[in-house]
Amino acid sequence: MVLARLESLPAIALSSAIGLFLCSLANALSRATLAPSPLIYWLGLLVIALPIFFRLSSTQPSYRQRLGLILLLGLALYCVKVVHDGVYFTFSDEYVHAFNAENIERYNHLYHFNPAIPTTPYYPGVEGAASALMMLTGMSSFGAGIVLIGAARLTFMAALFFLFARLSGSARGAGIGVAIYTGTSNFLFWGAQFSYESLSLPLMVVVLMAFVEREAAPAPARGAWAVPIVLGILAIAITHHLTSYALAFIFIALAVLYRVMKVEKPNPWPFALLAAGTALGWLLIAARSTTGYLFPVLEEAIKAILKTASGEEAPRTLFGQASTVAETVASTPLAARAVALFAVFVLFAGTLVGLRQVWRRERDKPLVLLFCGGALAFFAALTLRFAPAAWETGNRAAGFLFIGLAFVAIYGAAELLRGPNLLRRRLLLTGALGIVLVGGAISGWPWDIQLARPLQATAKGKEIDAEALALARFARERLDGSRFAAPEADARVLLTPGEQVAYGGQGPDIEDIVDEPELADWQLPLLKRHHLPWLVADRKLNSEDTLRGEYFQVPGQYGTALRPRGVVHKFSRIPVARAWHSGRIVLFNLRDRP
Amino acid sequence: MRGHRDLKWICLAAVLCALVAALVPWEIVRIVAAVPLTLFLPGYAIVAAAFGSRDLAPPKRTVLSVGVSLMVLVLGTFVLNIPSFGITTASWAVLLPLVVIAAARGAAVRRERPGRHRRAAISIRWPAPGSLAIFSLAIAIAVAALVLGQKPLPAEDAAGYTALWMLPTDSREEAVAVGVVSNQQDSHKYRLRVNVGQEQAQTYRVRVDPGEERVYEVDVPPRANGRTHVVATLYRAGAPEKTYRRVTSWLPRQTTFP
Repeated sequence: MVLARLESLPAIALSSAIGLFLCSLANALSRATLAPSPLIYWLGLLVIALPIFFRLSSTQPSYRQRLGLILLLGLALYCVKVVHDGVYFTFSDEYVHAFNAENIERYNHLYHFNPAIPTTPYYPGVEGAASALMMLTGMSSFGAGIVLIGAARLTFMAALFFLFARLSGSARGAGIGVAIYTGTSNFLFWGAQFSYESLSLPLMVVVLMAFVEREAAPAPARGAWAVPIVLGILAIAITHHLTSYALAFIFIALAVLYRVMKVEKPNPWPFALLAAGTALGWLLIAARSTTGYLFPVLEEAIKAILKTASGEEAPRTLFGQASTVAETVASTPLAARAVALFAVFVLFAGTLVGLRQVWRRERDKPLVLLFCGGALAFFAALTLRFAPAAWETGNRAAGFLFIGLAFVAIYGAAELLRGPNLLRRRLLLTGALGIVLVGGAISGWPWDIQLARPLQATAKGKEIDAEALALARFARERLDGSRFAAPEADARVLLTPGEQVAYGGQGPDIEDIVDEPELADWQLPLLKRHHLPWLVADRKLNSEDTLRGEYFQVPGQYGTALRPRGVVHKFSRIPVARAWHSGRIVLFNLRDRP
Repeated sequence: MRGHRDLKWICLAAVLCALVAALVPWEIVRIVAAVPLTLFLPGYAIVAAAFGSRDLAPPKRTVLSVGVSLMVLVLGTFVLNIPSFGITTASWAVLLPLVVIAAARGAAVRRERPGRHRRAAISIRWPAPGSLAIFSLAIAIAVAALVLGQKPLPAEDAAGYTALWMLPTDSREEAVAVGVVSNQQDSHKYRLRVNVGQEQAQTYRVRVDPGEERVYEVDVPPRANGRTHVVATLYRAGAPEKTYRRVTSWLPRQTTFP
């Protein structure tokens, strides 16, 4: 009786709300520089998820109740990311896409230049959709982005549920499958940010869901299901390069499998042709810069794999920070590493058991075979995490491959739930799902920034801003639409909310200009060639770190290490004017000089 | 569309939502109108047109409606980019109702005649009062969590600072604005000294509270030739000889790079 009450939907909704509040509280305490115990946050995540996982493992809920539960899970976990944000986007890609969305609103047309990632304006799906909300509601890019990605996230959860339910024939299995998917390393933060893949992946799952529904429908009804498939393929092609290639690959593979397996249903080659044609057509006609953006990354990844495999290069340390992180950051604690590794073990065990069952029962379904391939490829992609330049490729691939893994693992979970003493088995599955969720979150986001840092704070009841944000506000209010060279973290904030054209990073090589203490001969000509009169010199060592560099410094905790004084003085010695000075950041105007 | 009440309602709703979103000045009202217009109605109409009289379970219809609406927004951006007026509030407010009306018209044609086709009534069971109370409590806690997440909080260990800036007041560049912005944890006192060339200097006593900005305007007399070097220096009240912040300019400014 008590268990039944605790398993009721209102009680589960209440526990999700309490869990979300705990996550919000942990973030709030962290923003208040009170260094809260991370346990509050992890406890909050588990309070959200475990009751839902437990209920999903039951045989009692109806199809609609399961759908409601996974929507609640998706919404609550999305809100965990929202309460991490504060009032501005803070993830490095979000600044880039928000800048594009604001440009669409400002200029009323697409394809305006983006200095941070020049490829992004040529995949304007997410920004275009956000601009519709911005224009029709008056919301900022932040508000519109939160609503848009929230809608996409809920669509993703429901579509994945329908997809798994149709393929496995079990609503219970489908609910568990979606729960497993929340354990992918990119689910909690990276996949919930305002970025093109956060929209394209849900659209891809809608297309796959429509495809399997079409397969199950009687012949006269198949045409109806083709409508969302075709619209989805077209929309994905102009939203995200990688997703459009993944979708084309899936349909091509399906077309081949249908032929080889002599499936007695219409071969999906028209969809394969459309998906490949639109992805390739968009790449060649509109988004040629993608080749210069994506292929060097893939090339480096392949080189890194070969070098690591041959022993030429040392393997990457797991749970280490990226090479761009200059600040000394707290490493992931041993217990957290153990949870993340144990999560991989749990997934591996579930996949092994699941594969056996899937092979016995479902191997006549081409999409199921593809999912099996995806599950195996996921574990192969995990090895990329050992290669320094390939870990990101492996990490990005995981979001797609994990769909297959989650499906296969449903059958592993079903084996676990089979047999006597169901309650104990359900508890075991709930615990395993909890480990997978927490393990994924640990391996998907750096440990030291799982909790928010202060970008804005209050003092004596008034709002105060971190230096990068204060500079961005100054630029927005007084230097309308100027062109900047800046360390990458400052450059992102200058894009939005600063609304300026800000270059950072290595293409062109702004990074060396703003980081080196000596002025080299090539530096001023490069700034002149790119028409960058405003130059930001930032002494903070983490000013190139787009995940950590824009926040308040907190002595004793993080962000206090400084670069040599030369990074500022070299420009003062030219001499050129100093327009803004906050202590660690100086804004120079190269055109203002004697 | 006679007899197809759902199609008639979505057409009306699309037009009404578009008008409200485009014309009403209050953001919250516009959000209430624009969210269904962008994220539900176009998809619902297209799904209705695609499926005609065929049954589709309400949960799947709803999810497809949102998913297809997202696709319409993506493709709509591409379409609106073609004409010279481009992507504007007005063009969205026209395009989306047009999509809804056209697709609803197509759905009405594809559906069987009203009367012959009966949809299963959707029964909504209201939760018991106890459940409703728990749901309300859950929503209240979730809203509190979101509000807490958005709220800037005191961060006493965060390193505060004061910024100094200087820019010409207008294109004639015969005066500069000098700003002192406090992002400190407490009120601070400063002395601001502005040197205009070698002859003229002005000093200000500045007291700024956290989050406060004080702006001073200083005239820069035009010179017959050469440029006037303007230097603004900020000193802390407790360390009057040690430069705390310094900004500079040479007026009139050059337009070329060094």
